[in-house]
Amino acid sequence: MSAAQSPAEKEMAELIVTALNIEHVTADKIAPGAPLFGSHTDGLGLDSIDALEIALAVSERYGVQLRADDANNKQVFSSLGSLTDFVHRQKRAAA
Amino acid sequence: MRATLPLLRNYTPAAVLLRRAPVLPDLSQDALLHAAREAARCLPEGQPVNLCEDRGLFLLGFVAALLRGQTTLLPPGRAPGVVADIVRAHPGSYLLCDGDFPDAGAPRHQIGWPAAGGAAEARAPEIPQDHAAAIVFTSGSTGGPQPHVKSWRSLYLTAGLCAERFLGRLDSGVSIVATVPPQHMYSLETSILLALAGGCSTHASRPLLPEDVRAALAAVPAPRLLVTTPVHLRALAASGVRFSPLQLVISATAPLSAELARAAEDALGAPVHEIYGCTEAGSMCTRRTLDGPRWRPYPELRMAHRDGMTHVAGPHLDAPVATPDVIESHADGTITLLGRTADMVKIAGKRASLTELTGKLLGVPGVQDGVVFLPGEETPRARLAALVVAPGLAEAAILDALARQMDPVFLPRPLKKVDRLPRNALGKLPREQLLALLRA
Repeated sequence: MSAAQSPAEKEMAELIVTALNIEHVTADKIAPGAPLFGSHTDGLGLDSIDALEIALAVSERYGVQLRADDANNKQVFSSLGSLTDFVHRQKRAAA
Repeated sequence: MRATLPLLRNYTPAAVLLRRAPVLPDLSQDALLHAAREAARCLPEGQPVNLCEDRGLFLLGFVAALLRGQTTLLPPGRAPGVVADIVRAHPGSYLLCDGDFPDAGAPRHQIGWPAAGGAAEARAPEIPQDHAAAIVFTSGSTGGPQPHVKSWRSLYLTAGLCAERFLGRLDSGVSIVATVPPQHMYSLETSILLALAGGCSTHASRPLLPEDVRAALAAVPAPRLLVTTPVHLRALAASGVRFSPLQLVISATAPLSAELARAAEDALGAPVHEIYGCTEAGSMCTRRTLDGPRWRPYPELRMAHRDGMTHVAGPHLDAPVATPDVIESHADGTITLLGRTADMVKIAGKRASLTELTGKLLGVPGVQDGVVFLPGEETPRARLAALVVAPGLAEAAILDALARQMDPVFLPRPLKKVDRLPRNALGKLPREQLLALLRA
């Protein structure tokens, strides 16, 4: 069930684990397609406070400002894969 | 003494009450009234549990309920188990929703914006002062949410005190943007009642991330008031985002350090003030954080510490209340906050009883023993931890079960399975042993 992480996804997973102080989670075990929010069984079980911390860490590391104020923006946060993909597309667009 | 108070103080039909830019047009006081009358006609009988996430629809539902003489129930979070507890304790209640919500044992009524249009109302409706406008809930150590009834009078008068303290007037036309969900007592006061009874407008959004806050502030005219919490202020200050000019920032739900207040004043370009309040009494005292540790109570509010609790009374309150905070009163009328009784904790600005949270853990089928505790200091980023004896259960499954019963911020992190808890001869759990097991 656990697909392999790309190097960019691995870096994002490590950023998430560090930013959220969840060292009991192994970064390279976060499946790219698993939900970040909600279920602990199927995914990481994060909450909105975590979204704030992730957004801060992403803006500091990648210079990308995330948004969560509509359905499309919230989609970005649905999984490690979608978050990594969005951030890197924004970076390329800004370059 | 009049028996009623107006739904809108200093009713000005054309004044903007609800801002919805950029998604929808703004609503004047009169247009919101018209919409609320339409919505009120469609409400079922009973008491609405207002779960609207959009602040504008929350306001619509809240006003519609007032027009119908109903009492709005405000659950302390969206955990379906907590909502179900409230529904069980209030037979005849219904869920008032603007989106999906899991089954909580009550009928659901979907609320949305009715078609616009209609004749202008010459006067604001009058609401009986003693009408139970809302019931808010707190976490109690005896288990189950504790109800606190708020009369229309107490909400109306407290909003007036808040507007006078922060804005100096009751008709400022200030545009409020709030990051806090409207169901929380702090947000009900500062983002709903400051609009109805404090002469302000409020924005329909609930921005989470710094860029969302930037967009919401940019969508409203000056003068602007940002209502937020230390959790958000930390993110806003660190984001590097540039915000529209602000008149004032208000923070509450957890103490703001001078360091963070300074960073926030620099980043937001406005003075940062705090409210010290509680669900039981609403807002009670205020300060500009950088002025120092002392708080100024509202005029005529009396606070006294005795028997391990702080007792609060005032003419705007329905009755004296007791809070678990420890205060020191000074001769000049100001107070200092010293701490809180040990069972109550605040995580991300939300208050809970550790006894109640432990009770919920013990209530998960398959859990034989367990304890929820705060392993470190109560800092803005602190999380609770839990040790649990549950041979047949995975940690993730226990967390998912708990997620139905408590606000996500209280979910233990980590929740660690152990063979047995280190209970001493009295059955107590010495803190050092809990910490040692957690770190093992």
